[in-house]
Amino acid sequence: MDGTAPLFRMEGISKRYGGVRALEKAELTVTAGSIHAILGENGAGKSTLIKIMAGVVAPDEGRMTLDGSEVTFASPAAANQSGIVCIFQELSLIPELSVADNIVISNPPKRFGMIDRKAQRKIAEEALARAGASDIHPRALVKDLPLSRRQMVEIAKALARKPRILILDEATSALTAADVARVFEVLKRLRSEGLALLYISHRMNEIAELADHCTVFRNGRNVASYPAGSKSDNEVVELMIGREYSHIFPPKPASAPAAATVLEARNLSWADRLDNISLSVRAGEVVGLGGLDGQGQRELLLAFFGVLRGLRGEVLIDGRPVSIASPTAASHGRIGMALIPEDRKTEGLMLPMTVRENLSFAALDRLSKAGIIDRAAEQRLIDDMVGLLAIKTAGLDIPVGALSGGNQQKVVIAKWLMRQPRIILLNDPTRGIDVGTKQELYQLMRKLADAGAAILFYSTDYDELIGCCDRVLVLYDGAVKRELVGAGLTEHALIASALNIHGDDVRIGQGEHA
Amino acid sequence: MSETTHGGIMGGIAGRMPKFIRRADPAVLTAFACIVVLLLLGSLYSRNFLSPEYLLQQLKVASFLGVIATGMMLVILLGQIDLSVPWAVAAGAMMACAAAAYGSVGVALAIPFGVLCGVAIGIVNGIGVAYLRIPSMIITLATNAVAQGLMVVYTGGFSPQDSATAAMRYLATGFTIPGVPNAVIIWALIGAAMVFALTRTSFGRAVYGIGNRERAAYLSGIDTRRVVMIAFAVSGGLSAFGGVLLAGYASKAAQSMGDAYLLPSIAAVVLGGTSILGGRGSYLGTVAGVILITLLQSILSVMQMPEAGRQIIYGVVIVAMLLLYGRAPASR
Repeated sequence: MDGTAPLFRMEGISKRYGGVRALEKAELTVTAGSIHAILGENGAGKSTLIKIMAGVVAPDEGRMTLDGSEVTFASPAAANQSGIVCIFQELSLIPELSVADNIVISNPPKRFGMIDRKAQRKIAEEALARAGASDIHPRALVKDLPLSRRQMVEIAKALARKPRILILDEATSALTAADVARVFEVLKRLRSEGLALLYISHRMNEIAELADHCTVFRNGRNVASYPAGSKSDNEVVELMIGREYSHIFPPKPASAPAAATVLEARNLSWADRLDNISLSVRAGEVVGLGGLDGQGQRELLLAFFGVLRGLRGEVLIDGRPVSIASPTAASHGRIGMALIPEDRKTEGLMLPMTVRENLSFAALDRLSKAGIIDRAAEQRLIDDMVGLLAIKTAGLDIPVGALSGGNQQKVVIAKWLMRQPRIILLNDPTRGIDVGTKQELYQLMRKLADAGAAILFYSTDYDELIGCCDRVLVLYDGAVKRELVGAGLTEHALIASALNIHGDDVRIGQGEHA
Repeated sequence: MSETTHGGIMGGIAGRMPKFIRRADPAVLTAFACIVVLLLLGSLYSRNFLSPEYLLQQLKVASFLGVIATGMMLVILLGQIDLSVPWAVAAGAMMACAAAAYGSVGVALAIPFGVLCGVAIGIVNGIGVAYLRIPSMIITLATNAVAQGLMVVYTGGFSPQDSATAAMRYLATGFTIPGVPNAVIIWALIGAAMVFALTRTSFGRAVYGIGNRERAAYLSGIDTRRVVMIAFAVSGGLSAFGGVLLAGYASKAAQSMGDAYLLPSIAAVVLGGTSILGGRGSYLGTVAGVILITLLQSILSVMQMPEAGRQIIYGVVIVAMLLLYGRAPASR
């Protein structure tokens, strides 16, 4: 870049979570006075990288230098101290406090040991002005502000800490178009003031407008680094996608099965997260849910499973309208639904309990007579499942928390298969597990579908959706925006519709591969 | 958990220790070790301390607390707490004695009526916690106050004049098997039933599951609200049954007779290694905790420690035990 020495440098950074490699020998160089965009698919290692930069997690190996001298951050506060401030995707504001309180929350100005409200207000006003949001009153309560204004407060809060490097992780995803334009002005001004900005976004057009320099991550490595504008969108998408997984998916059935519709939704809406969703899944079919993270896919699965209150619209099972009031109602009896939840550690498993207890937990009613567990029947079914899914465990009476991530996920799936469900909802089941186990799960999913199960499968991994699904419904802002079938189911189409733009408009596709 | 499945079945009868030592929870072992230390300390103070009569007497006294702590343990395993114990105990005792005043039918129904009053208190707690989502600490404290008020209205604030039925006295003080007080047999039966419920039934699995991670249990299709409701009802019923036994022991009910059982019942459960956050603990531990608390009380009273001193020592012992075991989170 323009000859200046790098402000911050990361070299050979690796990080593992259990058996999963999140980052492998990653490199990053940040220069003052520039905006550096980081691109990559979900799970490519971007978040881990910035968490390491911001002191949230410690790297397993590698070194970081700031102004040429080596640094380590024991905590986010230490990183802040060195001038690295991060704005995370999730808001970190306390709704019941005022804007000014929130802005100075980590280090309020004090006078005689008490918070100096005057000074606090002055700091807040300055920070808000710098963030281009001087129309927000410092004494307003955060809970009274709309989401896009809160995001501006979040940026002001970061600026009040006097950063030298400012990291924005999907910081614009909640903003309206007008706010995005204002944020961009602010970011460009900050760049001219000599700050280094690290910008993470899924929105290609934002990156094209803003970035000076881009780095692409894939599978925990930085695969390319180039000055912005030197590569076409096509090339960038190719870099992001990679091609390693394509051979691990089982073959799909040649033609769409003509079986009966098992699960159907008509005009399903919930709060402001689900918007008039209609869909149907036939027996033997794997239907994918695509789109960016957090567009209502999780809520949709929870809605089917009877978790959400105040659902509007209709759910039909086997063509008949049903009202599913709880997971108990969803999983028991005629409906026979199973949900593999998003977070196996808090929603799928009771980690301190044994493998045996976890495996039979969802099927206790089937394994017991008059409330008393039939241990022989339990053992038989557990043995079947451990064999079927090849769960690797040192025994059935060890805590399930001692298993590897992939085997934990197998336990979650096995515990539902013990009920022989007819409808299987999967909420991003392959997140954080190794490629080998992923492959086994893909095979299993196809096997279950072939045996007649109706499967609704949400994944943040586009390759998976393409490799496993007969159809993919792409959600955007709580609504189904597009349905992709057969040859139309490509990465390019998925990404384009996930961003809610037509593939031709941004020309990120280079024609279909077929 | 594994020690409950393997060693728990005999836990109700205060167990033979060496058999489970290899598998047992360190907290349970520590509690039993403390019992031994207390007995040794006591025997230094007085020769009678190790005599069979004295030990049997202690076991009998312990069984009242044991019955009450059984219900408390169930609630604590869920990660909740039942603070309505004092007046559930008193209500059970008073209502059983009151029923006895209504002729022979009243006498016959005295015990079930007393227990049902406790179950009713427990159901109110259960509805509050499971369906209205009120923190158990608040709702059980409130029902305790309401139960107290109702009892005061009923008795006019004086000690009730009704006396316990013969059946109540027989359960609390009689002997069916020579040498073994009935109260101890009752505790053993209730304990065995609880061990069975916790280890062999789907209800027990659900209790541990909810205590470890309610969300995961709910998403597994468990009717978590029903389980919580039943647990509180059982706790209320057992507290009242403890009250019925106490009334039989003292021949009549008394105001605030249950006050002395709230802290000890919680302490017994926690000292026995049950996590105060729920999800982890074995009944054998609760047995050890109950005996430990009873011996501690006995020694303090033999040493003529005033009530205030006893309360201070309980509190300190509970805090010390919590520091030792309670800080390991229920799950990571």
